[in-house]
Amino acid sequence: MAQTHVRVFLERFVKPLVAGGELHVGAPIPIADVERWDTELDAATVELVAVDEARTNVLSTLVVRPPSLVLEADDLQLAAGLHNALFLVHPRAELWSVSDRQRRRIIDNALTLVSQPLTRERKRVMGRHALLHNLFHLARRDTTVSWWTGRARFQGQAPSKRLTAWRGIRRVREEHTDVGFEELFAVDETKPIIATLLRRTPLTMLLDSQPGAPQLHWEDAVFVLRDAELARAVAYALVPATSPSEQVREPSRLAAAFEQMLERAPDEADVRAVAAFLVHLCALFALAEITMREPNAKSPLISTVLASEAAGQRPRGLQTLLALPGALALVDPRLSVPPGMGSIPALAQRWKVHRAQAAELLSEPVIDALAQRLRRHLRPAQAIAV
Amino acid sequence: MALEHVAQGQTRFFTPGVAPDPRGILLGRSCLMTFPTLEGAVSWLRLYASEASLDELMSGLAITKARTALGSREILIQIPAVSSYAADRAARLARLVGGAMYTGTSKHFVKYRDDRSPYGYDAIDIGTMPASTDFMVHGDEFTQGYVHEGDLPFDRLLFRLSVRKIPGADRLSPEDRADLFLAVAHGLSDGIIRYLWRNRVEAQAGLFNPRTTSAFDDHARDRGYMLIRVRNLPERILQLFLGTPGIDVFKPAGASAAVAVGYEHPIDLASCQSVFAAETFHVFWPGDRVDQLPGPLALSDIGDLTRVDMELDKPRFPAEHSGGAPNPIGVELRLAAAMGPPRRVVATLIPVAHASRLKRILFALPPVSLRGHRIAVTDRGVLVVGTENLDVIPLGQLLCELTPGLLVPLGMDVVPRVSPEVLARALGHATGIITVFTPEGAPFQIPESAFTTLERRALAKLEPDRAGVEDLAAEPGDEARVINDAVGRFALWGFPDAADRKLLPPSGGGETK
Repeated sequence: MAQTHVRVFLERFVKPLVAGGELHVGAPIPIADVERWDTELDAATVELVAVDEARTNVLSTLVVRPPSLVLEADDLQLAAGLHNALFLVHPRAELWSVSDRQRRRIIDNALTLVSQPLTRERKRVMGRHALLHNLFHLARRDTTVSWWTGRARFQGQAPSKRLTAWRGIRRVREEHTDVGFEELFAVDETKPIIATLLRRTPLTMLLDSQPGAPQLHWEDAVFVLRDAELARAVAYALVPATSPSEQVREPSRLAAAFEQMLERAPDEADVRAVAAFLVHLCALFALAEITMREPNAKSPLISTVLASEAAGQRPRGLQTLLALPGALALVDPRLSVPPGMGSIPALAQRWKVHRAQAAELLSEPVIDALAQRLRRHLRPAQAIAV
Repeated sequence: MALEHVAQGQTRFFTPGVAPDPRGILLGRSCLMTFPTLEGAVSWLRLYASEASLDELMSGLAITKARTALGSREILIQIPAVSSYAADRAARLARLVGGAMYTGTSKHFVKYRDDRSPYGYDAIDIGTMPASTDFMVHGDEFTQGYVHEGDLPFDRLLFRLSVRKIPGADRLSPEDRADLFLAVAHGLSDGIIRYLWRNRVEAQAGLFNPRTTSAFDDHARDRGYMLIRVRNLPERILQLFLGTPGIDVFKPAGASAAVAVGYEHPIDLASCQSVFAAETFHVFWPGDRVDQLPGPLALSDIGDLTRVDMELDKPRFPAEHSGGAPNPIGVELRLAAAMGPPRRVVATLIPVAHASRLKRILFALPPVSLRGHRIAVTDRGVLVVGTENLDVIPLGQLLCELTPGLLVPLGMDVVPRVSPEVLARALGHATGIITVFTPEGAPFQIPESAFTTLERRALAKLEPDRAGVEDLAAEPGDEARVINDAVGRFALWGFPDAADRKLLPPSGGGETK
């Protein structure tokens, strides 16, 4: 069998993964091939530059000055691991002739490829995010062709012309279905691979999510919040100027992850950083309302998302998110208000209204319970001051 | 008869032709006010004219005499329901003069909102209207049908009302004396013109005969007079004129009317200018006299009307001088410090060299702060246009709007100070074009289509600290789609085992720095 050159992999899989387009999933890639590709990268300059430019383009909306990126061996291995995970949902892998042992071998191979060391280096974190930022939005179009005597399903493949000929006479009908993250990566075999892969790109985990995706581990991602520019980019991306339910969806996800974090034994500094970040997100909600005609009017956002009739549809973590400033005021008041709030009187007024409204709709016991959980991790303010 | 209180957010009503306005207040296309007497209707018009412009109601204003089934007569004023704010004012003033207000569209009018029902009322048992009834109003405890008896046009009413003497109103402040009209009898005109010219009073004069529609009015010519428009008339001269028979002093009321000094028309004439025809000028005299003069008034400067002394027996011939072709008449537009109050800042022009600073600010600001802003990148600079809160971008030359789309630097004005329409015509400015004056260089124009929403994506391609970039918008990436290639029957032959069975590294360990 002829060996595939790395430029083919870059052109047909990596570049579409970054810039969008058709990701071609072929036979699974052995580790030895990926190691060989690392040595072949010098001979694939054109494809390599195209991928790096696409990655820079992705980062250009995140930071003012995107770093100059060069695709490295670990990036290549992450991409190859993702490719092999996608082969597990390839129709060829589901044939009767593929034994469980062979499938297990592919899974092990993919896990080995994606098990690259974790990183906290800014450039590498951004490079991995640029490579995998589309992961949650990968989609596959399945086509079901039915004709007068039968039907056939094509997963991510075009049906053969033989089956679609003489449409009228054979009463051929084609139905298209788009399958997304949940069907591709939330299945038993691909789930551990994707969880391992996503842990390697915390910035992607912060910025995006899908139902069925593994939950964020704040301990892996908290270092991003210590980079002011990245933290700002994450905060602004998480609070879109759309409907109230859309505005709170992503912040609630992070607050739910914060709830889980409080159940573990995190570093106190990490708890403080995440809490301050979530309070900042709450301040962004208030900032969006400073142009309201009545500065003391109740917040339409909080009224909508905490409405009692919509209590069953509240996203997980929403209560924690909106109760957090109130709870922090009981535990460590310095964290309960974002710095600089007093310098914008209109914002301070809206913040006050938000807090009063959240306290009224959530009730005191919810805030007190969260304060109790926070006290287990945060030392009193006096102790730190000393 | 039952009226039901309209609830907040209610959208369906029994009353035909009504709907909630953006504030949720029930409103038809018109508002109908009922007054027991004509004095009440006039009082309402007088009050409304003093508070707001009647011109905005004039398109649908109708004053009607109507009769009820029991034979009593009422005066009805119908106005278009421009907005619930205007309707609130109309209702408040109607209550003040003993009237009531209703809203509706054609036949049925329901009581307008009051303190008891802030969103208005809905009539829930509207039945068939008797054939003899033209329209019907639905009040709290009654339903009243009306038969139309006749119309009373507003302009006729306006000219039938007498001007009233106001005690002490002939003492005018300097602002009131800034622009006055003098009606001077024929015999006095030469003397008055000389007197004004000697006292250096700026004035223009013209001869006018009031228009008459009667073929038998032979004395209309005798009622002609000289109308002199004087500016900044000194107080002593004003008092002299007021006390001189044959001279009458008038104060302008809007662009098409003037009222005698010391008198006042019951309705503020400045608020109903659309009643006066464009080519007329009305002079309201004491004693119910209204003169209609041809307008706009064609007046000549009194400096050219003073007596000329000629000595024909000593002719002087002009000396001949050679000359060249006349210079073309053209005025150079330039910017000068503005004299008026500062205008609202709507845009900023940032030099291309400072674009990287803009990018840094853009990336530091929350998206909500940038809502409503648009950007266009040109070789003359980065133009950011906003609707409000443009102070979040403390960069570049702040620009304010002279007329829609015509931007000048803040604190500057274009001289010569021609009207914005003339300026726009001279510059070729039109809808869909933004014209920008800069302190340096010629003004430039950008089509509206060149603007994009101000967001991170708009400047994403900008390399910080590098100039000369023009196309800065990043294209959104295509959707990534998985395509499963054919791999053949033997794709998995010889596929090796993974090297290491221990797959996941321990958490937190083995980090790359």
